[in-house]
Amino acid sequence: MTASLIEGRNVSKVYATATAPLVALSDVSFGIEEGEFVSLVGPSGCGKSTLLSILGGLEERTDGTLVLDGKHHDAPRADIGMMFQTSVLFPWRTVRENVLLPGIILGLERKQQEARCAELLSMVGLDGFGERYPSELSGGMRQRVGLARLLAHDPRVLLMDEPFGALDEFTRETMNIELLRIWERTRKTVIFVTHNIGEAVFLSDRVFVMTPRPGRLEGIVEIDLPRPRRTDVMRDPRYAELVFEIRGMLGVDH
Amino acid sequence: MTIADTAPAASAAVPRALDGAISRFVDAESRRMRRKRLTNRVLATSFGLFVLLVWHVATEAGFVHKLIIPSPIDTFWATGRVMSAAYFWPNVSVTLQEIFWGFLFGLSSGAILGISVAMFEPVRATIYPYLVALQAPPKIVLAPIFITWFGFDQASKIAIAVVMSFFPMFLNTLTGMTSVDPNAVKLMRSLTAGRWKTFRYLLLPNALPIMMAGVKLCWTLAVLGVIVGEFVGASAGIGYLIYAMNFQLDIAGVFSLIILLSLFTLFVYQFIEWLESRIVFWKQL
Ligand SMILES: Nc1ncnc2c1ncn2[C@@H]1O[C@H](COP(=O)(O)OP(=O)(O)O)[C@@H](O)[C@H]1O
Ligand SMILES: [Mg+2]
Repeated sequence: MTASLIEGRNVSKVYATATAPLVALSDVSFGIEEGEFVSLVGPSGCGKSTLLSILGGLEERTDGTLVLDGKHHDAPRADIGMMFQTSVLFPWRTVRENVLLPGIILGLERKQQEARCAELLSMVGLDGFGERYPSELSGGMRQRVGLARLLAHDPRVLLMDEPFGALDEFTRETMNIELLRIWERTRKTVIFVTHNIGEAVFLSDRVFVMTPRPGRLEGIVEIDLPRPRRTDVMRDPRYAELVFEIRGMLGVDH
Repeated sequence: MTIADTAPAASAAVPRALDGAISRFVDAESRRMRRKRLTNRVLATSFGLFVLLVWHVATEAGFVHKLIIPSPIDTFWATGRVMSAAYFWPNVSVTLQEIFWGFLFGLSSGAILGISVAMFEPVRATIYPYLVALQAPPKIVLAPIFITWFGFDQASKIAIAVVMSFFPMFLNTLTGMTSVDPNAVKLMRSLTAGRWKTFRYLLLPNALPIMMAGVKLCWTLAVLGVIVGEFVGASAGIGYLIYAMNFQLDIAGVFSLIILLSLFTLFVYQFIEWLESRIVFWKQL
């Protein structure tokens, strides 16, 4: 077996709290290949965000090893991008300035970044919105800007923590289709957190199913639906089977 | 979700007939807004005139003795008399300098310490408990001691103004620096931003709206500190003049000074609000 891009071995995380220590992650082991789309699903509190923070080098592990590209990984890196449930746009910066922020912080060449910014805004369907401020945009449009900013410095790995979780159902679906389209073009490694099983199946190559107390990786489900995927894949009987398999693993159907 | 979510360019597709109806509606709406603003202004002005009238009648008709409350006209003439007196501008200059330095030092020390306490753990550990303890008692009790320590001249007034205006600026800066979206901090860290870039691109702009509210409090308290200081012990300044005229029962003179001081404070306050609307423009969007 060739080494994966990201490999976790017995990753554990214990938070010290005022009362008892809280085991947020217990012995999580996995490998993620370059260019793969992986979703983490599970109920609230099963450690999805914690695992994502550890993958981003933002949170220390209590135990276990984490290797990225053959090297130990425990600090933030410019080639890993993060996106959250809220867009976290800076209200004092225009849409364009928000998308330029990663390049400014990383000291990338300005002209190139400007060109890339225009390209990205057009890719997420926000042509002509560059000089608007975030407060002038709807929630869906803000997440589109967030998506453009995520891609601005061309990171290799995208860590997305319920990025569309706060959007209404219609917007969420549009955003999923768009994300898939972008991923098919760029083939970045994506780790996508959601508690929406259907969304996970629709998007992913593999779904990591997690359960709480303590946070564990219950199992990994290979999503063998054909690509490129369009929404009609949801009519595929295999789609329903996979959704039900994951529901079963999460114990939703008892 | 807006239309633009699914079709960003769809807004141009409004049929022409509807377009006319919409613009008529917008016109009517803005006319209504203008009328409402006018009504509000008329109400406020009439109330002010009414108070002036009551004041005038009560004093000129002798319901209240003129020695206790001078009439509006007396106050008006007194203002002219005071402003053209030889002693007026030197005293104004003394007070303005005290206010300027008190405000400047209070503002900058509050902002700098607020930022330091928020950014540097050792600074926080060392001085934060003391600043919290000192924040509660009224700073005005220090006025007599400061006169003793720093003398009758400007230094003691500046010191009182600094002590009074420091705390709101310090606390507002600290609050602004620490009330930040944890995900925004995570984002900056994920971009490998260090302490300085996080401060420059996130923490400082994020703190500015609350800091500007602090600046306004700081201004009001700096003026208060200086005037109180001049009441307690001074040989020059507006506070000193008010105190002296009150002693000589020149109440009209006192009134005129109070009005001039209020107008000046208000003017600067409005200037700060204008600055605020420029600096934290995104709050008005
Ligand atoms: N900074 C923290 N301090 C203490 N406990 C935490 C912290 N962050 C998360 N937890 C706890 O760890 C568990 C997992 O949290 P999280 O990773 O956010 O779960 P999820 O994202 O799956 O909802 C939860 O029980 C949560 O309360
Ligand atoms: Mg979470």
